[in-house]
Amino acid sequence: MPALKERPKPFVLPEFCKGCGRCISACPKHCISMGTEINPQTGLTPVVLDLEHCNGCGLCIDACPEPYGLQQTPADADFELQDPEKLFGDRMSDAPEPVDIPNQVVPLPKMEPLVLKGNYAAAVGALLAGCRHFFGYPITPSTEGAELMAKLMPHLDGTFLQAVSEVATVNMMYGCGGAGMRSMTFTSSPGFSLMLEGISYMIGAEVPGVFINVMRGGPGLGNIAPEQADIKLCCRGLGHGNTHAIVLTPSTPQEMLDLTMLAFELTFKYRNPVIIASDGYLGQMTGKVSLPESMVKPGIPKWAVYGDLEHRRNLISSIYLSEVDLEKWNVVLNAKYASMQVEQRADLYMCDDAEVILVACTTPARTAKGAVQVLRSRGIKAGLFRPITVWPFPIEKLKTVLPNAKRIVVVEASNGQLEDELKIALANARIREYPEIEHVRHYGGVLPQMEEVILKVAAGQEVTV
Amino acid sequence: MSSVVETPAPPRFQPGDYKSDLKPVWCAGCGDFGVVSAMYRAMAELQLEPWNTVVVSGIGCSSRLPGYVEAYGFNSVHGRALPIATGIKVARPELNVVAVGGDGDGLAIGGNHFLHASRRNLDVFYVLMDNEIYGLTKGQAAPTTPSGDKTKSTFFGNPEPSVDPCELAISFGATWVARGFSGDMKGLVDLMVAGMSHRGFAFLNVMSPCVTWRGDDQFKVMKAKLRSLPEGYDRSSRAAAFAYTRETETLTTGVLYEAHEPSLLDRLEAQRTKAMEGHEGLTTEKVLKVFFPPF
Ligand SMILES: Cc1ncc(C[n+]2csc(CCOP(=O)(O)OP(=O)(O)O)c2C)c(N)n1
Ligand code: SF4
Ligand code: SF4
Ligand code: SF4
Ligand SMILES: [Mg+2]
Repeated sequence: MPALKERPKPFVLPEFCKGCGRCISACPKHCISMGTEINPQTGLTPVVLDLEHCNGCGLCIDACPEPYGLQQTPADADFELQDPEKLFGDRMSDAPEPVDIPNQVVPLPKMEPLVLKGNYAAAVGALLAGCRHFFGYPITPSTEGAELMAKLMPHLDGTFLQAVSEVATVNMMYGCGGAGMRSMTFTSSPGFSLMLEGISYMIGAEVPGVFINVMRGGPGLGNIAPEQADIKLCCRGLGHGNTHAIVLTPSTPQEMLDLTMLAFELTFKYRNPVIIASDGYLGQMTGKVSLPESMVKPGIPKWAVYGDLEHRRNLISSIYLSEVDLEKWNVVLNAKYASMQVEQRADLYMCDDAEVILVACTTPARTAKGAVQVLRSRGIKAGLFRPITVWPFPIEKLKTVLPNAKRIVVVEASNGQLEDELKIALANARIREYPEIEHVRHYGGVLPQMEEVILKVAAGQEVTV
Repeated sequence: MSSVVETPAPPRFQPGDYKSDLKPVWCAGCGDFGVVSAMYRAMAELQLEPWNTVVVSGIGCSSRLPGYVEAYGFNSVHGRALPIATGIKVARPELNVVAVGGDGDGLAIGGNHFLHASRRNLDVFYVLMDNEIYGLTKGQAAPTTPSGDKTKSTFFGNPEPSVDPCELAISFGATWVARGFSGDMKGLVDLMVAGMSHRGFAFLNVMSPCVTWRGDDQFKVMKAKLRSLPEGYDRSSRAAAFAYTRETETLTTGVLYEAHEPSLLDRLEAQRTKAMEGHEGLTTEKVLKVFFPPF
């Protein structure tokens, strides 16, 4: 009779054990117990095995939900084998190296300018930028943008999908962007709040996508009138972790189109979401919009998990279980955020000799511009500094006008969120000499009025004419 | 024995007592008017004390309802009426908790909460005002919008199949499930009285037309499809109930399903009672015993 071969006993791979304890209850011989030491690589507490009574039944291995948690001890057990790379070998792929399939630029015929609502202009911009996937959940005052997409997408071989919430929306964008496709959404403040978790995942996994936040009055349900009170979310609060994204602030329907096109370029250039912070007024406002000279027919980036043989090797993930790896990844992301500083953009209106610099973006910038014109007609040297990116804040441009400035007045529809960005940018640029910052602020859907800006500036201003 | 026939004292609360001072801002002809009126009557029938009653909602036209009812309650976060109602009920089990809202609120963004409130048999009466559209955001498709219908977000016709909320609730374990129509006041009041009296998750889907975004004739169309459950219908059978879900040509109203099973609060209470056995009252020794049981 051949001798019964002893069945192999289990051993635990501590880096892969999450300490769920299922094997403990599975073992009929009570060989397994919860460990007491945290594994430094995972931050979890793996189980420990005492195999004195083990009969090799293998029930624990069946119970373990982790593919590599428990293994059978190989006959010539050598615990260097605990390195899973050596144990299981590298994942082999005979897929070819993926290559970039570049975008094509398709010239457009000359056309008369269109008269469009801000939200429509942004939707048209997205289509011209080659976006063919729209996901969104209705929310006033952003919905017309989505409704236009619903009408146009099927004509353009695109997909419009109404999600069941903003949580669903952002995750659809995560999937679509991961496949290397151009996707976008329209939302407004409460919806944007719900998307933040997903945006953090997209940033962590380097997935592009364009979010148009037509900001409305808050906090809470607030109202549907314009506010700028999500600037802090866009610039400082994109979900958990060390996150940043370029935040574009249009102030005309034309810019709603132009900046949406730019947003698609940037989101793929940096493989990072881009936020367009518009406001309820601008979204609803109608204006003349000229179409660009060309549109984009997108290719497929080489990193995409496109789902074909060429892209077999690609992986999209934001999971880095080891602290060391995750820190390295954060360093990479931080370097990427730093490289985005070159995207600083601003519009300077009558700033060359300005002694009073108004700082404003989106709709309040229109008010401020009107105020500058009136103030100039009264002989006050006012100018408007209008950030087109609030993150990165266009501090380099601001530096050029600071030497003349005797006053800085921030005009905004929030409790100082734009002003905070300005101050952080000044501090980061180590600028210590600047006039005390004054402001005109409104909240809750009330916008700063031109008259009060003029009054604020004119008070305490020597008129030189 | 007395031969004097006592005239019963008039009830303490009349339907009008549940009407708040706010004037509804719904469009003229909106089905939600019928729902709120039925609610006043049902509350009067049960003589619910306004100060022991909470009506919560999410966001939507229909979710404005709590503002029009004289009770505690609020218009909360889009899709989150049920988790908020759960919090209230668990904190104050003796209150009558009613949750209300629209089809978008309860089935799209709040769909997950609806499934799990059903599964848990949460002790809440939930009224879903189903107009097959997103009313407040001006006419986009909802999960109950029939397939093929044109709306502002389904320009080429709704490409998605719709869902029957009653079927969902029954499948997920709700223990009282009914369908009503906002134009049938008497029927609706009876359903609400029964739903509010049920122990466990009671779900009432009220077909409540949106005249503005589904057109003037949604009311007529629904009315023409109205049917009652047949004589002798067995409401304890899930299989029987499913025969009256996903209807297209008919709209059957009545209690489709009813079961008597322990509610969420019953189960929680049973656990507490068991866990507290032998150490009722909070002496230091007993607290220590909870944290350091003798092994
Ligand atoms: C997070 C969030 N997303 C979107 C909205 C916008 N919104 C308000 S009500 C609503 C849907 C309304 O439809 P329904 O629940 O069916 O109620 P009805 O108006 O039809 O009664 C939406 C999408 C919001 N308030 N909050
Ligand atoms: S092989 Fe069987 S006896 Fe050995 S540890 Fe696993 S469950 Fe226990
Ligand atoms: S079942 Fe696997 S993951 Fe869970 S404790 Fe056991 S070894 Fe660890
Ligand atoms: S839009 Fe529709 S649901 Fe809203 S109040 Fe008007 S009729 Fe009622
Ligand atoms: Mg609805």
